[in-house]
Amino acid sequence: MSDIVEIKDVWKKFPMRRDRPGLKEFLVNLPKFINGNSNSNFWAIKGVTFAVKQGECLGIIGKNGAGKSTLLSLILGTIYPTKGNINVSQEITPLLDIGAGFHPDLTGRENILINGVLLGLTKDEVLKRIEEIITFSEIKEFVDMPVRTYSTGMYLKLAFSVAINTNPKLLLIDEILSVGDEAFRKKSKDALLQLIKGGVTTIFVSHNLTAVKEICNRAIWLDGGKIREEGIPEKVVEEYLKYSG
Amino acid sequence: MNVFDHEFRRKRDLLWLLTKKEVTLKYKRTVLGIVWSLLNPILLALVMFIAFKVFMKIKMENYTFFFLSALFPWNWFSASVVMSTGTLIGNVNLIKRVRFPRHFLVLSTILGQLVNFIFALPIVVGFSYFQGEGPGINWLITFPILIVIQFIATLGICLMISIVNAYFRDMEYIVGVVISLLFWMTPIVYPLKMVPEAYRFYLAINPLTYLITAWRDLFMSNHIDWGSIGISFGSSLIFVLLGILVFQRLGKRLDEVI
Repeated sequence: MSDIVEIKDVWKKFPMRRDRPGLKEFLVNLPKFINGNSNSNFWAIKGVTFAVKQGECLGIIGKNGAGKSTLLSLILGTIYPTKGNINVSQEITPLLDIGAGFHPDLTGRENILINGVLLGLTKDEVLKRIEEIITFSEIKEFVDMPVRTYSTGMYLKLAFSVAINTNPKLLLIDEILSVGDEAFRKKSKDALLQLIKGGVTTIFVSHNLTAVKEICNRAIWLDGGKIREEGIPEKVVEEYLKYSG
Repeated sequence: MNVFDHEFRRKRDLLWLLTKKEVTLKYKRTVLGIVWSLLNPILLALVMFIAFKVFMKIKMENYTFFFLSALFPWNWFSASVVMSTGTLIGNVNLIKRVRFPRHFLVLSTILGQLVNFIFALPIVVGFSYFQGEGPGINWLITFPILIVIQFIATLGICLMISIVNAYFRDMEYIVGVVISLLFWMTPIVYPLKMVPEAYRFYLAINPLTYLITAWRDLFMSNHIDWGSIGISFGSSLIFVLLGILVFQRLGKRLDEVI
């Protein structure tokens, strides 16, 4: 089994700056600013190393601010590590903020197309699946209306349907989404579980420890930007619970 | 299917869809839609014609044609620059949550504005039939060359401005002022020879002078000005290299500032 995601001693800092530094401070700090240095930094990730193999489902747990979401963004590639290396050898399907690429003034159909391509398909491939996506989303009669007219539920349903139907190879999940009504929630959860059990490599961040134990075959406990514990989910969750009291 | 082939087709589709989005969004919720792209330059030409012929009574021959033959390419440039200033900070959601080549946002902005320029061409062709030499074989040769040169130059400038603006929002206001200064420092409203000898230097160091001159020469006299084209091409390469450099350098920490 080959490593799909490889993370080697990754560090990530965020500079802490004032919103409007003023001209004097700006000019004085300009060289530092250009080189990405700052007087005060916040290290969100401090030397994390791990790998995810093909077909694995890795759960990441930890309290708020432990760096879980930052880690997902680093894997996704929307932010760059300050130090260290990240190798990802698969097209990523993020289920982080679904519908991030949606534009309110475009119709549902136009948004499906543009998001499908953003998620890794070609236009032809999206067109081939578009009926499937629309059927799954249960909003057939509104699909040619601008998305701004949708209710929140309809919006999320459509966004989820696009993401789940793009033939994911590596899923990034930040909490199992509770999308739409009870029926759709069950449907979307089932579809997701089917993908994960079917061998799609998954990285799953959650506060739902039961779900992590249930779905994942390995877990990482992240604490203060470092890996505190790593191993089989039951053990890691137990340690985490013991610590959190 | 080959992986690289798939990736290439995906990128092409993405650029196409982003550009299409740029164009369709502009006319969403209008009645006439894309017709505005054609109607706008026609109305603009009409307004200019009335202003120059009736109110200002400018003596220069074919002044409206003279002005528009430079204004349309200029508008492509200036609109692209102004719009791209906000294109990165206006797409925070996409940049933070989706992985895709960020420079596509800048590319699609410029391509979207190119569509407007293309729609303005019938006016230029019309004028050229009535007041110029008519579009000839030289148009076929020079038109694509000038499009490419202007595209490259604009891209370089837009890459720089869009990324710098993410770090330093004052850029937006600077761009506004510099664009209007540039408009008057480029021979658009007036011919180059009207400028006193002593000040010509300031126009000569402006690369846009050459580009606009080349466009006007083509449109008005069906003439290829290889000298201006060469200078434009050279400076466009400098701009685009600089733009790519700055964009890559500052792009690494875009997420921290946006």
